[in-house]
Formats: sequence, structure tokens, C-alpha cells
Amino acid sequence: MAGERHRRHCGGGDVDRRRDPAVGVKTLVRKPPADERRLDVLGRMPRLRRVVMSRSFQPVSMLLLLAPFALAIVAGLLGTSAGNRNFGIVFVWIVWWAVLMVLMVPGFGRIWCTICPIPAPGEWIQRRGIIGGGGKLRTLGLRWPRRLRNMWIQNVGFLILALFSMIILTRPTVSAGVILGLAGVAVSMSLLFENRVFCKYVCPIGGFIGLYSMAAPIELRVRDTQVCVDHRSKDCITGNERGYGCPWMVYPGKLDRNLDCGFCTECLKTCTMDNVVINLRRPGADLAKPGGGKQIDEAYKALIMLACSIIYPAVLFGPWATVRGWASVESLWGWAIYATAFLSATLLFVPGVFWLTVFAAQRRSATGVTIRQAYREYAHSLIPLGLAAWMAFSVGFALTNGSYALAAVSDPLGWGWNLFGTSETGWTPYLSGTAPAIQAAILVGGLLFSIRTTLRVGFRHDPSGTTATRAAVPVVAFLLASTLALLWLYLG
Amino acid sequence: MTNGRGNRTAIVTLIAILVGIPLTIVGYQYGLRPVFADHRIIDITARVPENGGFQPDLVRMEVGETVTLRFAADDVVHGIAIGPGLGVDIGQVDPGHVGEITLTVDSPGIYTYYCNTWCSPSHWRMRGVLEVVDPDAASPLSSPPDPIIEALVAAGIDIDADPQTVDGIVPDRARGQASVGSVEVPAELLEPDWRLQHTPEGGLGLLRAANRDTPDDLLIDVVAYLWSNTVPTEQAVELFAKNCAACHGERGGGDGPVAESTIDPPVAFAEAAWLRRGDIWYAKIRRGGMGTDMPNFGTLFTVEETRSLVDYLWFLSFAGP
Repeated sequence: MAGERHRRHCGGGDVDRRRDPAVGVKTLVRKPPADERRLDVLGRMPRLRRVVMSRSFQPVSMLLLLAPFALAIVAGLLGTSAGNRNFGIVFVWIVWWAVLMVLMVPGFGRIWCTICPIPAPGEWIQRRGIIGGGGKLRTLGLRWPRRLRNMWIQNVGFLILALFSMIILTRPTVSAGVILGLAGVAVSMSLLFENRVFCKYVCPIGGFIGLYSMAAPIELRVRDTQVCVDHRSKDCITGNERGYGCPWMVYPGKLDRNLDCGFCTECLKTCTMDNVVINLRRPGADLAKPGGGKQIDEAYKALIMLACSIIYPAVLFGPWATVRGWASVESLWGWAIYATAFLSATLLFVPGVFWLTVFAAQRRSATGVTIRQAYREYAHSLIPLGLAAWMAFSVGFALTNGSYALAAVSDPLGWGWNLFGTSETGWTPYLSGTAPAIQAAILVGGLLFSIRTTLRVGFRHDPSGTTATRAAVPVVAFLLASTLALLWLYLG
Repeated sequence: MTNGRGNRTAIVTLIAILVGIPLTIVGYQYGLRPVFADHRIIDITARVPENGGFQPDLVRMEVGETVTLRFAADDVVHGIAIGPGLGVDIGQVDPGHVGEITLTVDSPGIYTYYCNTWCSPSHWRMRGVLEVVDPDAASPLSSPPDPIIEALVAAGIDIDADPQTVDGIVPDRARGQASVGSVEVPAELLEPDWRLQHTPEGGLGLLRAANRDTPDDLLIDVVAYLWSNTVPTEQAVELFAKNCAACHGERGGGDGPVAESTIDPPVAFAEAAWLRRGDIWYAKIRRGGMGTDMPNFGTLFTVEETRSLVDYLWFLSFAGP
């Protein structure tokens, strides 16, 4: 009740504060700008709040997901080499990937990081328990090097995975090895470093989830930053008997972007001032914020992801069987050519073209923004389109291959089992006639969202608006060219 | 806050997941399932020969024992059959699927499980041995010598000699069939065993001697008909389609889809027929071709199946386009 009183006192973050009798109506007559409007989800859904506030919420979710992942690893190591009949491949790269990219990231941001079982064993070792709250972490207590406190390792890790994706996506043993490898690194790092260093700085999946979560309509924030400033004990950092200090090493009082928050909900539990909330907001509210994207690593992440979202469908679905053979490492020379082209495209060509784009944008505007800053900030406009491109790819991939899940769930190892009577379900692509239209709609939506972000960046650089639109033209052209390339790949 | 009980439950759940899932899977497959089965279940993995072929490639069972053989295709589509003489053809097994057969063998012998769908350049090496032993029999298993091949060897006939061809002879089998009643056919030519051991050209010599006034082209047509007048059995057609057509072509023209990958071009039966003996074809099928990619099928087909295949080859040779 004290928390509830405090929430009301602080004004909360609800859009609908005018209905709150505890708040004066006159002061709230002016509707806040759309980007600043928030809806306190847990405030509106007390049952969900009870679930999320429970210490069991995260570990139980992780345990529930650990089971299929454990089965995926066993199937990958012991089951059939035929990827489309192996639960390891079908569950991870068709079902999980589709749910992640089509539902979780665009709809709920970092929610996957909340329930991801990969770092869970390491975290439980650190905490000497699975459910428990508070207490000192058991690690060697090493400090993560300052120069590595960025996304570069995640960028490199993702590129390595992407480079070998044709192997990882089709060979169950390799796929199982990748999951085991990630889990092994996560556990090892948990023994060496406190908190979720692996998730924050190393995990190649967490990297892009974080980036794209900035476009999501969900955020975890504090209601009133002043409350945090005034609150001396800072339980959200130190932890208390209700929970641990932020495992992502974030001070919620200064949290203003989803990228930095792992959505683990510890701060919700530890905050004695009931000042932490989960908000529903306008999608993309984190994008184009001043000061957002302090380093070039984040811009590179956006560029790498966009480039890969074009290369992937081109290689997987395109008419170039030779390139597909190279990507599948059918010959070392072929793969060397593919790797050179892939890395050149993701690290040099696309970033280079985008640099020229931003350079042109800056030439057309008269702001005092440096090219480096403009590069970082305009890179945010690639996030919605990049996310849309991955959604389109994943929708197509899931609709085409989703039927494999029915067989794999009945016969997870391809050993001739028939647990649920569906093991002989044949391959049936779903909505094959409609899928390209769905993909095109997603891409166009992403393009419009990106153009809007571009204009927001431009108007922030030049609040008068005189040159903002002119400056946006080259960036919009870049976005349009990327979208047309994707549309060509999907629509032919 | 203490969460002792919750922690304990969670830890038990964690152990159940990390240890229980692998144990359950492996325990069921290799422990419970065989224990609860009323007969032996043998799992055989089928991969292309370059990656190991059949694993295991040797299965032993006793006469009268019931065994379930489960063939799991692990990489590409494999066709699974067991021969000779068991009449087992499981059919094509797709990657990640399992084809199985429960069988009881009454005759001791060496049988072969093999792939009869072209699966790789080394497809013909994809074989495994099914050894059926009679525990009461004193002597070990052995294959009796093949009298046809023995006779060829004894006569000093080179089974592997390149087939000669004769240009310009294009018999009309249909005309031969229509004319066979109008010529005198020596009795030898009506004997399948005689025809097996002689070439059509040799048969033509006898026919010429018996019909001196008949035009040669008509006699050629009659010989072609006589050599190919056995109606192909369904079994022979199927055996050819599954085991021979990949190299020799669907109609025996030497133009199968993998013909270009063989050491020597596969024989086109029509070209080689005029100077070819049926027993040499028979020997080639059963023993394989030395120095060529022609595999041996003697461990896969019965003598009768091989004879019916030879008949089908004559049919293909003279059937015309």
C-alpha cells in the first residue's frame, strides 16, 4: 500500500492520469506528446504484476525453456543428421527464431532476455540458488575491461554465426555445439565476472535483441527520476532481501533506452519506492534520442544486421545455387570467396555507402553536428527497417518450414518414434500465396517507420526544420534502396 | 528472504531436465524398448558410402529367429532391400525417417541388405551383410559355386572382354515375330539354355543353314525375336529400374542419369547384343565387371532373378526404339 501511495504521489507514468482522482485535473489537461505517453502495464494488470514480482517468475520461465533447449541439444548430438527431421534444428531455427523475431522482439523488446535459459546456469551458480533473493554473488569478481564495454564482441560474434549460418542451420551437431558453446561461455564468464557480463557484452543474440528492442512498444523505466536521485540506499543497484542488484549493471534512474536493460525485472522487485514500471509506449520511442548511441559500435550493429537481412534471403532463397554452395562450405575456396564477400559487404560496403549517405545528408543541412555523430544517430533510422527485414525473413522461413515442427515434436531425434501421431506429417508450406504480400507489408511498414525516425533525427539536429527534410533525402534514398532490394528478393 | 523449499524444488527440476531428458531418451531407445520388445530390434543407420554406408554393416541372426531391422536414413533418400531370395524391399526411406521390416528367415545363408536407390557416386558399395546361421548346423555358411560362371571360366571365356558391336544390323523384332512361322527354326534355337550360351549371330548361322533361300534380313529379324521372346516379368522390370537404370538408362541405351560418372561408358544393350552371349551377361550381373563400375549383384539377386534380368536385357536389346 505504501508503494501504491507513493506511485500516486509521484504522478505515475500512466497516459490516463486524468482518471486518477488523486491527481489534480487542471495540471493534466494538456495531453503529452505521443512519444512521451506511457501506460503502466503492471499497474493496469495486478495479476500480471503479482506474477512478475514473484521471485519464481524468471527462474521458472527459464526452467520451462531449458527443457526444450536441453532436448534440442540431445537431439542435435544424438539424433538424425537430417536437419528438417531433427528437433534441435526445427525447434531452435524455425520455431524459436520465428517466435523471437516475429513476436517477441517487435512486440515485447527484451522479453527473451528475461526468460533465456542459456545464461541461467551461470547466474544460478553465482547466486548459489535458483529462486533466492539478494545475497552476495559468488564469482572471482574480475572487472570487465573498460575498452570492451561496447557491442563490438557481439558484432563479431554475430558475424561469425552469420558466416557459418548455412552450416549451423542445417547440421544438428553443429547447432547443438553452438548452443552448448554459448552456454559454456556464459557459465565460464559467470564464474569470472559478476552479473550478466556475458549477456551485456558478449552474447551475439542479446546484441541484436537489445538494438531492436528500442523499437518495441514496451519499456522498463522509473516513474520519476527524482525519486531515484533522492533515494539514498539505491537498492536497485545494491540489492536487498527482495532481489539482486541489477544484473545488467544499469542504474534504473538513468535508464532511457531498452538497449541497456535486460528486462530481468530485479529492479521491479528491489525498488522499495515502487518507482519502477513496465510501460506500454509508442513503438520506437528510444530511437533518435539525444545522446543515444554514444559509440560507433551500435551504428555498426544496425548496419551489420541490415546487411545480413538482405544477404540471408539472397543466399537462402535466391537463384544463386553456386553462392549457396559456397556458403555451405562445399569447397574451401568457394567459402573463402563467400566469406570475403560477406565480410566486405557487412563491414565495408554497406557501412561505407551509409557513410557517404550521411555525408551527403550533412552537406545538405547547415547544422553543427559532426559527421561521426550524424552517422551514429542516423544509424538509428536503420533499426525499424532492419527489424522489419528480419521479421519478413522469419515469417517466410517459418511459413515455409513450420510444418516440420509437427513431425519433429513426435519424433524429435528422427529415430522412428511417433509420440503424438504426427511423425509422418509431410512438408507443407503454409500461406505460400500470401506470404510474399505479408512480407511486403512488413517491409513497407518498416520503411515508413524508418523514414519517420530519419525525420526525427533531422528535426532534432535542426529544430527549426529548415534543412531537416533536405538532409533526410539521402538517408531516405538509402532506406528505399534497401527496401527495394528486399522486395525484389521476396517478390521476385 | 529464504526460498529454501522453492530452491530445492527448482534444483530438482533443473537436475531432472539436464539429466532426466538425455537419460530418458537414451534409456528408452537402448534400454526399455529392446527389453519390452518380444523379439530383437536392430537399428541400422544408412548413410552414403562415403560417410560410412550401413552402420552396422553386419547383422547376425539365427534361422527361425524373428528380428526387426530398422533402417534410419541419415543423409539422403535410400532405397532399402534385402536379398537374395527374401523378397524384401522396404522402399525408399527419406532422410530422417525410418523404414523397418520384421522378418523370420528359414534358410541359413549370407544375405545382403543394400540400397537400391542411387544415393551417391559410390552407391553400389552401400551394402551390409545379414548372416543367418543355423545353430545346429556343423559347417559354416558358404555359397555354392555358380555352374554358369564355372562353365564360362572352365571354357576360358573372358567375361570382362569388351563387348564387340556390329554396325548396320537393325533387326525388326515385330517382323521376326510375324515371320517365325514361315521359316524352319532348328530345335536348338528354341532351347533357352542353348540361347543362353550362344550369340544371336551363332543362332543366325544355324537359321541360314536351315533356310538357304530365305533373305538374310528376314532371318535376322527372326533371330532377334527368338532371343527376346520371353515376356519380361514385373520383377525383372523392377529390378532393372532400381538397380541398373541409373547407369544403363531406362531403356538400356547406356544413357542413365549417372552414366557420365562411370569409369567406362555403361553398355548400351542394343549395340552389344548381336555378338553377346546371355551367360556372359548373366556372369557380369552376378559377379560384376572387373575394372569397371559394374557392381556384383550375385549377393543381391537369386539365380532366377538374374536369369529373368538377362531375358529382359534381350528384350531391351531387340525391342526397338
